[in-house]
Amino acid sequence: MNNKEIKFSDEFLNAFVDNQIAAEEKSSAYSEISQDESLNRQVCELRKLHDLVQLAYRDPPAPPARAGASLNSHQARLRFGVAASVLLTLGIVLGSQIRMPSTSPSATAAPDTAAQHVAKNISLIKPFQAKAAAPADGKVRVASLQSMAVIPATEAPEPVPEPAIVQNEVPHNATTKVLVHLARDDADQLSQALDDIEGLLKHYSKARQSARVEVVVNGKGLELVRTDTSLFAARIQRLQREYDNLTFAACQNTIDRLAREQGIVVRLLPGVITIDSGMAEIMRRQNQGWAYLQV
Amino acid sequence: MDLLDFFLRSREAERALEQARTRLYRVAYAWCHNAALAEDLVQETLTKALRKSSQLRDPKARDAWLFTILANCFRDHFRKQRDMDDIDEIEISHETTPESESSRAEIVSMVRATIARLPEGQRQVVTLVDLEGFSYVEVAQILEVPIGTIMSRLCRARNAMKVILQPAMQQGPATSRAIRRIK
Repeated sequence: MNNKEIKFSDEFLNAFVDNQIAAEEKSSAYSEISQDESLNRQVCELRKLHDLVQLAYRDPPAPPARAGASLNSHQARLRFGVAASVLLTLGIVLGSQIRMPSTSPSATAAPDTAAQHVAKNISLIKPFQAKAAAPADGKVRVASLQSMAVIPATEAPEPVPEPAIVQNEVPHNATTKVLVHLARDDADQLSQALDDIEGLLKHYSKARQSARVEVVVNGKGLELVRTDTSLFAARIQRLQREYDNLTFAACQNTIDRLAREQGIVVRLLPGVITIDSGMAEIMRRQNQGWAYLQV
Repeated sequence: MDLLDFFLRSREAERALEQARTRLYRVAYAWCHNAALAEDLVQETLTKALRKSSQLRDPKARDAWLFTILANCFRDHFRKQRDMDDIDEIEISHETTPESESSRAEIVSMVRATIARLPEGQRQVVTLVDLEGFSYVEVAQILEVPIGTIMSRLCRARNAMKVILQPAMQQGPATSRAIRRIK
């Protein structure tokens, strides 16, 4: 019996169920297992677990930005980039060899429209740049967010043969990505921030615009997503239920610091994920082209 | 025509990547239980795979290679991932689901919540084995850990799941229970 227990360890039974045992060993194990009721039951349970895991993820929730679109847009960007490079090269070659008299008037007109176009596109990240000069209360109003948000939806970028502009162009179906950074614990400000976030999400949803909003909390802002301190737990859960393109991410560094310095074991609200470092996440997201808003 | 051959091969690789998207997403979702993040991880994985497609020598190993990239993306994203031990709250939120929800959906959410509760390493092993059917050797390569660790993680994960899911396993999908009873 003891021998049997060693032979049919949990690891062995798992490997047996997962078909990871050599054929001849499996067939001898099979006859022994089928004669032992207890082993038989264990194998049945393991198979059932396997079935349950498969059942649980047969239909995972659809991603916020529909699959396929992203890779296609990546490919489209790549193709656009290649086309732009070819155009640029052609332009340089032709420009250096042929001097067209008619190009000068259009050249004088172009910078103006091009500048306007760039201004429209880079206004996506304008709130971040404007932050330095923002009022001391640090609040971001929904109105300004909405005006920012409208740009990619309503302004179908016109093809402009200037490579510098092509790089800044926002594709018509691009997903707008906004990172909201919360680092304060003031209840009024947090409430206002949630209002703003909800307003933003509502706007995107109404405009049928693909968008992602990630709320990064660190420092004192972590209180917003702690089960023991959050004043807005129900609201956060409601927002998460209503908007699957909304993510709350808590800074692990802050969690560790609280444990180290104050002995607080942080428990987060359901659905809140952790990230290694809030600051690192902000940098990463900005490098990936996300708009940044601090509240 | 080397150039033509190159384009044909890269197009074929792109198509294979696109086909793998659904499977990558399913596993990524099982790892993080966040649709937006899972999509992000898959996107990052596919972008890296496209960029590094020349590194893939044996097309048969494409699946394991893709999931290795996914595991790396996941690791980078959660370098200091804690265990998701706030499962109590998750269960509470599940209790609020409408009464009309079918028992199948209840089982689905219970199993997902149980998997979310597992430590990250165990969660990855269970999903790679059960969802994707990878062999232990392949999982060891994907996660870059010894095969013995894979076996013990799988064992611990399933033991823990068994304890929590006992009621669901007894309820279970009706058809499978009937078959086992007849035997």
